Amino acid sequence: MSSGVYKIGLLIDEKRYEAIKNLPFASKMKSMFGGEIRMLEVEVDEDTAKKILAAFPSARVDARGFLEDLPVAFKSALFEAVVETKSVGKEAFEKVFQKIDQIKEAAKKEKEYVPPP
Amino acid sequence: MYAPLEPHGGRLVYNVVEDKDKAANMAAGLTKLEVEPTLGPDGAPIRNPYREVMSIAYGFFSPVEGFMTRNEVESIVKERRLLSGWLFPFPLIFDIDEEKLKAAGVKEGDSVFLTLKGRPFAVMKIEEVWKLPDRKELADAVFGTPEKNGEVVKRRFDEKHPGWLIYRMMRPVALAGKVTVINPPSFKEPYSRFWMPPHKSREYVRQRGWKIVVAHQTRNVPHIGHEMLMKRAMFVAGGDRPGDAVLVNAIIGAKRPGDYVDEAILEGHEALNKAGYFHPNRHVVTMTLWDMRYGNPLESILHGIIRQNLGATHHMFGRDHAATGDYYDPYATQYLWTRGLPSYGINEPPHVTDKGLRIRPVNLGEFAYCPVCGEYTYLGISYGDYKEAPLCGHTPERISGSFLRGVIIEGLRPPKVVMRPEVYDVIVKWWRVYGYPYVTDKYLKIKEQELEVELQ
Ligand SMILES: [Zn+2]
Repeated sequence: MSSGVYKIGLLIDEKRYEAIKNLPFASKMKSMFGGEIRMLEVEVDEDTAKKILAAFPSARVDARGFLEDLPVAFKSALFEAVVETKSVGKEAFEKVFQKIDQIKEAAKKEKEYVPPP
Repeated sequence: MYAPLEPHGGRLVYNVVEDKDKAANMAAGLTKLEVEPTLGPDGAPIRNPYREVMSIAYGFFSPVEGFMTRNEVESIVKERRLLSGWLFPFPLIFDIDEEKLKAAGVKEGDSVFLTLKGRPFAVMKIEEVWKLPDRKELADAVFGTPEKNGEVVKRRFDEKHPGWLIYRMMRPVALAGKVTVINPPSFKEPYSRFWMPPHKSREYVRQRGWKIVVAHQTRNVPHIGHEMLMKRAMFVAGGDRPGDAVLVNAIIGAKRPGDYVDEAILEGHEALNKAGYFHPNRHVVTMTLWDMRYGNPLESILHGIIRQNLGATHHMFGRDHAATGDYYDPYATQYLWTRGLPSYGINEPPHVTDKGLRIRPVNLGEFAYCPVCGEYTYLGISYGDYKEAPLCGHTPERISGSFLRGVIIEGLRPPKVVMRPEVYDVIVKWWRVYGYPYVTDKYLKIKEQELEVELQ
């Protein structure tokens, strides 16, 4: 498959929206349930997708090419990286992979522990 | 016609001895037998029969007074009738190990002193000691198979179905007989606020002056789809006039991992009247102890029985009632309450058949948010020639359980059109306690250790 065919859907609630609303990609989000929740689609190239699938055994690719069943810790880290790098591309994933060991540790506990909001 | 209707089978059971001297006399000299949980293949507790002892003795399952004999279990799986002829959907079996039976040395005609966590609890008068048949066959007979029950069963039951697994994992011998609670337990917080057994619930309904009471079954923290179901069901319940109140009754016990924790279910529903989405004079939240069998249409019969005994006149049934996975048709319960389930020996709807229920069904489909209308619309029911179609003609956004779980587990606040903020706050409150918003194996173990009650 060519690069950029995979995607990750990040859910954006009002609090998350505040952090990204002025960035160029904010206007392209799909709105659901009257606009209080949105979906930010992050594109994933082949190499990155491979690395993600290798890091998280529970992750899978669905029929539409979305990476699903990703750990909460990974998705949170990805969102933080999007905010920090102001990008939905390679820079954001580089940032996430800098602390992948820490994310993997948190992900292992997620069957029984996820930190409350 | 008006609430409270007569109890199922005509008489409300209340086999609870409060008098301490009388209780001591009943237990004197009896062999003790500890009530033990049923364990899943991986050792996780999936049921504790203490909940059935409580629900029988306090009259939730009236007219049932005890655990069933072999004949009665056969009658249940053949035509869902007790030996007295009254409709009842599930076998209630007190199962134990052979070695434990030998060690106790009890036989038919004896009484046995049931203890819970080593504390005095109840007495069972043993009417019969019987051997269970092949447990896998029993579990199939209880729930049905696609071959035999094709009108509603779409997929063969297996270990992933929590109710099927309860029967599959039962111990080989059963004790049948009437049970009496002789040491009434006190409930822990928050359960104590929601414990209102049938005799008290019926009194509450009378005191409030409610005439039309529509029951809502729940094993869920309510989202707005549930709230719409409750409100619209109350609107149609009385037929010629709206209902007076919604009686929310939560099933408390071992649940499927991924369901919400029991404490959040109760307080989540309570939040709806505390925060003003229901008037507290027209909405009450109570509980029943039962390790849910997820038997969709069969479970709906048990729900009808419990809520009739609690004093309700109507019971609302929505899509995928008491279901998990895709074992049953999503509208199997509506099928039962409009046509009966002949393949289970039920030839008419439960409220029409002789020795059936008095409570009446309010059969409804799903409600969903329409972004065009900016409010909820009704989707209707799919069955046979009928197809779900949004009332408003637009494309509403269904609330899927997995979507909502995804939003919540990521720590995001669900939209107000999906879940009331006060309800979400309850989820977070119990998430802080257990480190997780949903049932996990760890939660099931804590629950088995703690139970919902304390015994003196
Ligand atoms: Zn509409």
